[in-house]
Amino acid sequence: MRPLWYRQPFKHGFLWLYALLSIYPLFWMISYSLKSNDEIFVTNPFGLPLHFRVENYKTAWESFNVPVYFLNSVIVTCATVVGSLSLAVLFSYAIARMRFRFSGAARIYMIVGMFVPVQVIMIPLAILMRDFHLANTYGSLIVPYISFNLSFATMVFYGFFRGIPIELEESSCIDGASIYRTFFSIMLPIIRPALATMIIFVFLAAWNEFPMALVLISKETLKTLPLGLLFFQGQFTTDWGAMGAAMTIASIPTVILYMIFSDQVERALTVGSAVKG
Amino acid sequence: MNKYLGNKTAILLFILPALLLYSVVVFYPMLQVFFRSLFDWDGLTPGTFIGLGNYTRLFDDSLFHTSVYNGIVFALVITVAQIAIGTVLAFAVAEAGVRGRKFVRISVFIPVVLSITVVCQLWMAMYNPEYGLINRVFELLGISYRQDWISGSKTAIYALAAVNAWQYMGYHFALLLAAVKSVPEHYMEAARIDGASKFKAHLRITIPLMAETYKFCLIFAITGGLNAFANMYIMTGGGPGTSSYTLTYMMYRSAFRVGEYGYGSASAAFLVIECLIVTLLINRFIARQRIVY
Amino acid sequence: MKKWSLLLSATLLISALTACGANDENEAGASKSASPSASGSAAASESASPSADAQKPVKLKIYAQYSDDDTKLPYDYAVAELKKAMPNVEMELDIQAQDDGQKLKTYAAMGTLPDIFQANLDIINTFKNSNNILQLDEYVDKLGFKDKMYPSTMNTLVTEDGHSYAFPYAGNEVGLLFYNKEIFAANNVQEPKTYADLLAAVKTFKAAGVTPLSMFAKEKWPAVVLYDMFVTRTEPEGILKLDRGEAKASDPAYKQAAEQVVELVKAGLLPKGATSMNYDQAAALFREGKAAMFINGQWEIEDSTKALGDKLGYLYIPASDEAAYEAAKYNFSGGGGPSGYAVSSHAENKEVAAEVAAFLSEKYAEFKYTQRGTPIVATKVDLPVQKEFPPTMKQLSEDIPNMKTTAFAWGLGNAKFKAAIEDASQSLLTGAYSADRFASDVDKAIEQSK
Repeated sequence: MRPLWYRQPFKHGFLWLYALLSIYPLFWMISYSLKSNDEIFVTNPFGLPLHFRVENYKTAWESFNVPVYFLNSVIVTCATVVGSLSLAVLFSYAIARMRFRFSGAARIYMIVGMFVPVQVIMIPLAILMRDFHLANTYGSLIVPYISFNLSFATMVFYGFFRGIPIELEESSCIDGASIYRTFFSIMLPIIRPALATMIIFVFLAAWNEFPMALVLISKETLKTLPLGLLFFQGQFTTDWGAMGAAMTIASIPTVILYMIFSDQVERALTVGSAVKG
Repeated sequence: MNKYLGNKTAILLFILPALLLYSVVVFYPMLQVFFRSLFDWDGLTPGTFIGLGNYTRLFDDSLFHTSVYNGIVFALVITVAQIAIGTVLAFAVAEAGVRGRKFVRISVFIPVVLSITVVCQLWMAMYNPEYGLINRVFELLGISYRQDWISGSKTAIYALAAVNAWQYMGYHFALLLAAVKSVPEHYMEAARIDGASKFKAHLRITIPLMAETYKFCLIFAITGGLNAFANMYIMTGGGPGTSSYTLTYMMYRSAFRVGEYGYGSASAAFLVIECLIVTLLINRFIARQRIVY
Repeated sequence: MKKWSLLLSATLLISALTACGANDENEAGASKSASPSASGSAAASESASPSADAQKPVKLKIYAQYSDDDTKLPYDYAVAELKKAMPNVEMELDIQAQDDGQKLKTYAAMGTLPDIFQANLDIINTFKNSNNILQLDEYVDKLGFKDKMYPSTMNTLVTEDGHSYAFPYAGNEVGLLFYNKEIFAANNVQEPKTYADLLAAVKTFKAAGVTPLSMFAKEKWPAVVLYDMFVTRTEPEGILKLDRGEAKASDPAYKQAAEQVVELVKAGLLPKGATSMNYDQAAALFREGKAAMFINGQWEIEDSTKALGDKLGYLYIPASDEAAYEAAKYNFSGGGGPSGYAVSSHAENKEVAAEVAAFLSEKYAEFKYTQRGTPIVATKVDLPVQKEFPPTMKQLSEDIPNMKTTAFAWGLGNAKFKAAIEDASQSLLTGAYSADRFASDVDKAIEQSK
């Protein structure tokens, strides 16, 4: 038999083309970070830089305290991932599988969080953080980040939990396992693909978040990486090359993390489907 | 079984932490927005209660009409594009024997990984009418279809929607891929033995089995589209003129540039209700029955 | 498999615990929240009591622009000078974001305003109503700040209500229509005096493949400047009159200006995609000799002189005929308004903060004058200029005594009108928006804000 790509050239052509188009921004961003304003906008917006302006990285590095910002991003993001995933997975299990009167209402209530525009609740939210005495602590980012990621994570987990056959709980019940045991040792392993996927999603959301961080954090020692961009955007001019360098520095960890977890997702997916067969 | 899954203590333990946090940090501020939409308020002073005054003004405001219309266009474009292309990609990558599927799988998600600032910068360069790649491609193909894209008042909203659709394709792709993978293999095999073509097999068997995921993707894409903000904020500032305003952008303008926080709150309240209605409709009409394997 | 779920249950447990902890804290926080003053500037409250004498160390928080040479260098200079004059004062800088005042307004709502911040007219008006900005009249008198000002820049210190809320550093800056003399000569185009000349010039440049006018119209205010330039040919007060509700956009002078902009745009005035061009892109077109004209404030002179040297000049705006041109020659678009370093009314050390704000403004202006080649500052500078003014700037400083100005979009006092005219002026640049719609959209906003 001839290989599949030979039999379906269009399909493969489309797939590869799409993949290249998707990976191009990574290349573009790195080139961008090594160019001058002139090259970025006029002479050479899309190709490799003509001279590698490594000094952009020097400027970026010297403009703000990269290690501190970086560490803050790591702390805030990790806490957000752990917090929102654990809360969401518990909540969605209850509304997807357990039986109580208001499960439907609880789900709709939670969905609303997906479409609350952050910009408009900024002032009430900031006041809330102050009243909780969280202003200018890691908590003033972690608490809102966890809360705002709950809706999305809950909905994804809900979908996965709904797809699991009820027989699993039935047999576990007959075996005499408690509901907690069933949840932790049977249900959680099954939704591993969803967990791995959501780790990536929530990580990205928290890592790249800008508007809340801008308004809620003013202490230099608590600032996260996206706020580093502020150092390059003037009222009129912007040092785009240095900004590109800052963005590259901020993006590399997410790309690496994604590469690691993406394999995890793939492997988990294969295991996950076997359970159901 | 009812008793087993109806364990009240367990339900409370599972639900309460998330519910409490969410209610205090997300829902309560949102209620304040609804409350404040009844005030003539600049965000700082006590403000004056004007009942539904902001809403009557809203429905009369041509900027509001533009914003609602743009939100719907934006939502439609990204929903159709993301779900259609996301489905094609997910099924293709799920299939064994496809060359380079790992590469495809990893690449499609890359735009999501990068921050929206990077992606918007890239597309502003792509759309540039003089140097942009898109017009150059049309030129190469010999088509005289050079456009102003994001600086044309008719094309701007579509151009912005395309960027969003492209960037967040990866989300839908990842969710759909996970769903395809969890469809038990024997359903697919059974379908093929029956002589159904692959396309039909997917349409009749696999896709209905993924209804829950599709439902979620639909809600996610439509409400995300109605809420569009960052693309406008970075790429056009709502312009040219007001031609790429959306409700969230209008709210931002009212609250912070014009200093009418109450009026901005009214447009935000409208947006939340609009999204809620869409969600309820989707819930009602898609996949009502529980999927049973 | 086992390890994985073990890890998960562990994280679940931990986060459940921290979540409970957070909730406890929340309750405690809610009960304690009745003390709003506790949330003032924490740094200042730690360091000194309000009656601190000059020698006690004081830490002040400041929210200011600090992202390019035009803002970084003067700020650094001012702070270094402050170190010499008031060694007991330490400044803690919070960099201002380009976010339409969102962050500053949120600070105000939270009651955590920094002691000193840069305020424009919009911020002054909003904060005045909500009692967040300190009225500075007392300190203006005490520090003799009025004596340090030029008589012509007094409008940047005193607002319409007769009080002062910010110490200004920028003078009455103006919007200019820059041109490249070499391109004009190469295409045999004279400096246009009438609107017809200008239209012809645009067509000539267009035919020669030169962009007639480069503009960073992704920001909306340059579009307002262009419109205002034509309005001021017949109405010296320009958009200011609309801002105050003393005129309507459907009045002949205003309507005609909109029609002229539309006509020029349709004739090919702007490069493609002008409304999505940022400053760096638009400036590059002009400085590289690809565009014949460019609109920006006079602060552009420094950088464009570097690129174009003697080729740089600015045009007086063409009017209906030569007589009108001469008559309106010194009507400039742009101008200053009350703005500068302001002090929070919640500052712990109001007196020190006001003194520091005044000091910083003065030094800021000093640096701009002596080292950034800007004669347009609010306060008098008696230090020698270290960097000579470029020729274009000399021409401008000769024009200053005769000059009548309006206001930049950001110096308008009526926020609703400001947002509307910005949107409408930018729409004019698309060519697909009629002067009639312009008039009706702007008039609606004027009507609503009465």
